[in-house]
Amino acid sequence: MLMYTLKRLLAGVITVWFIATATFIAMHQVPGDPLMNDKAVSAEIRANLEAKYGLDKPVTTQYFIFLGNMLKGDFGISFTQQNRKVNDIIRDHFPVSATLGILAIFFAATGGVLFGALTAVYRNRMPDVAIMFLVILGISVPSFVFAALGQLMLVNINSLFGYSVIPVAGWGTIWHMLMPSLVLGLTTMALLTRLMRSSMLEVVNEDYIKTAKAKGLSPTRIFFRHQLRNAILPVVTVLGPQIAAITTGGFVVELVFAIPGLGRYFVQAVQQLDYTVIMGTTVFYGAFLVFMVIVVDILYGFIDPRVRLS
Amino acid sequence: MSETLLSVRDLEVEFDTYGGTVKAVRGVSFDVAKGETLAIVGESGCGKSVTVQTLMGLIPMPPGRITNGTATLKDKSILNLPAAEANKFRGVEIGMIFQDPMSSLNPTMTIGDQIAETLRVHRGKSHQEAFGMAIELLEKTHIPEAAKRARQYPFEFSGGMLQRAMIAQSLACNPSILIADEPTTALDVTIQAQILELMLELQRTEDMSIILITHDLAVVARMADRVAVMYAGQVVESGSVDDIFYQSAHPYTLGLKAAMPSNTHDRDKSLTPILGSPPDLFQPPAGCGYCARCPHAMKICAEHLPEITEVGDEHHARCWLQHESAPTIEMLHQAGG
Repeated sequence: MLMYTLKRLLAGVITVWFIATATFIAMHQVPGDPLMNDKAVSAEIRANLEAKYGLDKPVTTQYFIFLGNMLKGDFGISFTQQNRKVNDIIRDHFPVSATLGILAIFFAATGGVLFGALTAVYRNRMPDVAIMFLVILGISVPSFVFAALGQLMLVNINSLFGYSVIPVAGWGTIWHMLMPSLVLGLTTMALLTRLMRSSMLEVVNEDYIKTAKAKGLSPTRIFFRHQLRNAILPVVTVLGPQIAAITTGGFVVELVFAIPGLGRYFVQAVQQLDYTVIMGTTVFYGAFLVFMVIVVDILYGFIDPRVRLS
Repeated sequence: MSETLLSVRDLEVEFDTYGGTVKAVRGVSFDVAKGETLAIVGESGCGKSVTVQTLMGLIPMPPGRITNGTATLKDKSILNLPAAEANKFRGVEIGMIFQDPMSSLNPTMTIGDQIAETLRVHRGKSHQEAFGMAIELLEKTHIPEAAKRARQYPFEFSGGMLQRAMIAQSLACNPSILIADEPTTALDVTIQAQILELMLELQRTEDMSIILITHDLAVVARMADRVAVMYAGQVVESGSVDDIFYQSAHPYTLGLKAAMPSNTHDRDKSLTPILGSPPDLFQPPAGCGYCARCPHAMKICAEHLPEITEVGDEHHARCWLQHESAPTIEMLHQAGG
């Protein structure tokens, strides 16, 4: 298990390095640079600024400086925001995105497993048909539509009670988090429901379920001890990439609900060619993604003994 | 005959499929006495597995349906019971092992936990106590280093070892009957012999009856006290193992025997198959199911279902040839048939 974890971590470091390099190359291929955004600066000021930020050096030198700083955990200063270090931006706004993402994943995973199991039990009957209809809706409708609908619903609820029961937008309390995380997790929940359903239906026909019946176990015990745990394996596998998709893909929801998350800075930086912020957020998100995948892989080892020992 | 444990009468089972209704079991009767081994023999699709799975309540209903018949275990009916009632005898009075041990155990639970589970559910043992008993059961089935093996998962076991673990699991509550549904079909020949040997040994020490489902006559000869030969959802011949092998009364039994590979004959001699294929059980024939393949078929065979005729002590055949007014095979041969 230790070797397994170490191997995964090493592979993770290489992946992060690869992400950093690819982002660096891609960023320098984009025409223009961060200093061209504002009104024209004179050649002398420009030269001074380039020297300050190290943009006058050859690209390879810049690359190694960047890698060296990254190893020290320093992503530099933002080009567009006054006096803000990239590290500060991440430190201030990532916890918000992460909280939102974790809550969304929690909704998605519990909902997906629950509804998936339910549809499998009631296969081809009313609950199954109804849930599967919602699942297809959840997969096909983009999240900003759900975000707007969710807000509308909150507005209606609040006006019904005459005061703000659940805040429509903003950030701060657990009540603020409820609707956005639900909206953010909806697509993933739909995906997981579908996966869980097919996985459950597969496991029902396994020989060991027949064995469990022949042992004289109660249907409830068979369901929880023998069926659910085996059916959940494929769901756990996709959980890693889904966590990454949710935490990085949350900026639309963050925008609609006016949540001060990292997503907004991530997108803004790309529009403004803010080199340091692009590099900082991308590498950080990349590392986070890799880390979550490793965590899920290790978790998987606990659920499936075959992975743990091979 | 000693005390009868299990008695099955006129069992009929159907399945609804997209192609129509399949009459998989069409009036099967047999008894299992204490301590004996009953072998149910027949080719694929003859209904032997469906019969025992119906007894255990393992047939999903729907699409399956019991349309007729009774089954009593120690004078209590065991058919069509709700799960809670059925679980009073499943795993307790009757243990069952299956064809493919590789897929018959839960891959995410240790072997010991799976055996202990039966004891915890039926005997109310604590986890620790049940696990200890599971190790003893594994020792009883001659699994080396049982204490260590009990903590391992099915994927760490070989096929033969898994079948031993399955047997250990089925024996947990000291059942009076062990149903073995083709227990050695998925194993190679040397392992097969070991598993059969183990079953015979445990039958003696545990004093239990065995219902052995197989299509292998060599296994029957080695294991069985009594034999029921099934064909197209019916028992066509039943009797003691000696009667079935040496006094075969049904042409299908004779056909099976002739089709057996032998190592005493000439090497170049090819096998003698039974020509044709079994009848379509979507529309079972009015007469004898074997009639179309039977070398001795008569006019009546196609029109009327043969009665069960007693051909000897505890030896029955469902064949018109055994009817008192039927011509003997010798007569047919003399007539040039």
